[in-house]
Amino acid sequence: MAASGSTGKNAGELLKTLPRVSLANLRPNPGSRQRERKRGRGAHGGNKSGRGHKGQTQRGNKPRLGFEGGQTPFYLAIPKYGFNEGHSNRRQYQPLSLKKLQYLIDLGRVDPSQPIDLTQLVNARGVTIQPLKRDYGVQLVEEGADLFCAKVNIEVQWASELVVAAIEKNGGVITTGFYDPRSLEVLCKPVPFFMLGKPIPKRMLPPEDLVKHYTSAENRGYLADPLKVAEARKLLAQKYGYFLPDITKDELYEMLCQRKDPRQIFFGLSPGWVVNMAEKKILKPTDERLLAYYSS
Amino acid sequence: MALPIQRCWFRLRALTLPVPAAGYHAKALKMNMTGVYIPDPQDPKTKDWQKGPAYEAKLYGKYGSLSRVNPAQLWPSPEKLQEIEAEEKEWYPSLREMLDKLEAQEKELLQQKLERERVIAANMAKMPKMIADWRRDKKEAKIKEREEKAKKQRLLTLAREKFGVNVDPRSPKFQEMVKEMEKEERRKLKAVKKMQREEERAAIAAALNAAAAARSPTTPDSSSTPE
Repeated sequence: MAASGSTGKNAGELLKTLPRVSLANLRPNPGSRQRERKRGRGAHGGNKSGRGHKGQTQRGNKPRLGFEGGQTPFYLAIPKYGFNEGHSNRRQYQPLSLKKLQYLIDLGRVDPSQPIDLTQLVNARGVTIQPLKRDYGVQLVEEGADLFCAKVNIEVQWASELVVAAIEKNGGVITTGFYDPRSLEVLCKPVPFFMLGKPIPKRMLPPEDLVKHYTSAENRGYLADPLKVAEARKLLAQKYGYFLPDITKDELYEMLCQRKDPRQIFFGLSPGWVVNMAEKKILKPTDERLLAYYSS
Repeated sequence: MALPIQRCWFRLRALTLPVPAAGYHAKALKMNMTGVYIPDPQDPKTKDWQKGPAYEAKLYGKYGSLSRVNPAQLWPSPEKLQEIEAEEKEWYPSLREMLDKLEAQEKELLQQKLERERVIAANMAKMPKMIADWRRDKKEAKIKEREEKAKKQRLLTLAREKFGVNVDPRSPKFQEMVKEMEKEERRKLKAVKKMQREEERAAIAAALNAAAAARSPTTPDSSSTPE
């Protein structure tokens, strides 16, 4: 619009010389009109124009879906109750049983000597996560809790009490963490994201109704106080009656202690970094405002 | 990954076979599979989606520094960053804020629950008295009903004695009789009351007289004693 100051005068002068705008010299904008398609012409001229033979289908007077010729249709005759209310907005957590996890570990598809998060599980084809279909991650389910025997440091989005007990009984560590849909997409498919050349986003905080879940030590939430988590581990061992292994004397202590920052998506990668796959390079921002934004 | 290997193969083939072995070779693919294709943004034929910072970032992600994209432009500009920060400030409350809000909600709920419990306890304390009242009222109503029934029966028997036949209680004859009887009763009551009143008056007068009589002999006595 900055240039219009100089051209406005010329345009005004030009308009003065032009005839008045009238119906005679108006026409639709280019590309706004499409020629109507003529049916029944050309190679299949005498045919049915792709509408089939006779009847409502050909004439296009089919009654609407669910209409039963005037009698009260089924979908109105059956009373409805809000069991499925808001089903299309509910968060979904794809199930992964402890049995399947054990299977993945036994086959070497998941490496228990490294922290396991959603990236490992997706890469091992253990689960399929579709963030666009309102998947919010993975839930560990109890099937195979009695045969689970691996020592892991695993991060999932949802886990029941028994699952937590089954993992901690074997000297493992479990954390439940929330990922907003964008971060989840990045976490599940890291390479396609890195190919976009974008900086790794900041992980958002959970919505208000999940804050309670992820700040509680009983759920091993990632926002919970570590001291309270240690306490809860002992309590759970007492409740289920198993001996809690001391992970501080474990040879894998370093690995078992690894936790992500609440704002971090990948282990070892901070938000704001750009990972370039072509050159195997990591670019880190130096601008202070950027650093402040990504670290908050 | 595939790119360098392909380049390698190409060079190897060129080394070993300077002259094509076969007489015919298929036409080269129109796709540029070996090099880095960077569409010229000045070219009018270039598609819109191949222009702009997002596509340039994509090029950088694909080819790295070969794409000749300045990596500084991969991050949001200061203005954009400000916008993002403002949006986050508006729409994403901090953890502390959310926890405080939840705590307040919980407090509110607890308060409501306690209030409700208090009201219930107060009402339950009133309960025994209310039940007793209700029982008494019911008993009284029953007695009254029984009396009324008896009275009606008595009237009916009286009417039969008087007229010699069973009388319909709705008939004017019966009603008149009842009225008369009531009048009679009232008169009797009045007479009784009158008699009572007279008796009372007489009793009072007697008492006064007695008092006067008691006083009149004593006064001269008391005056005469000093004599």
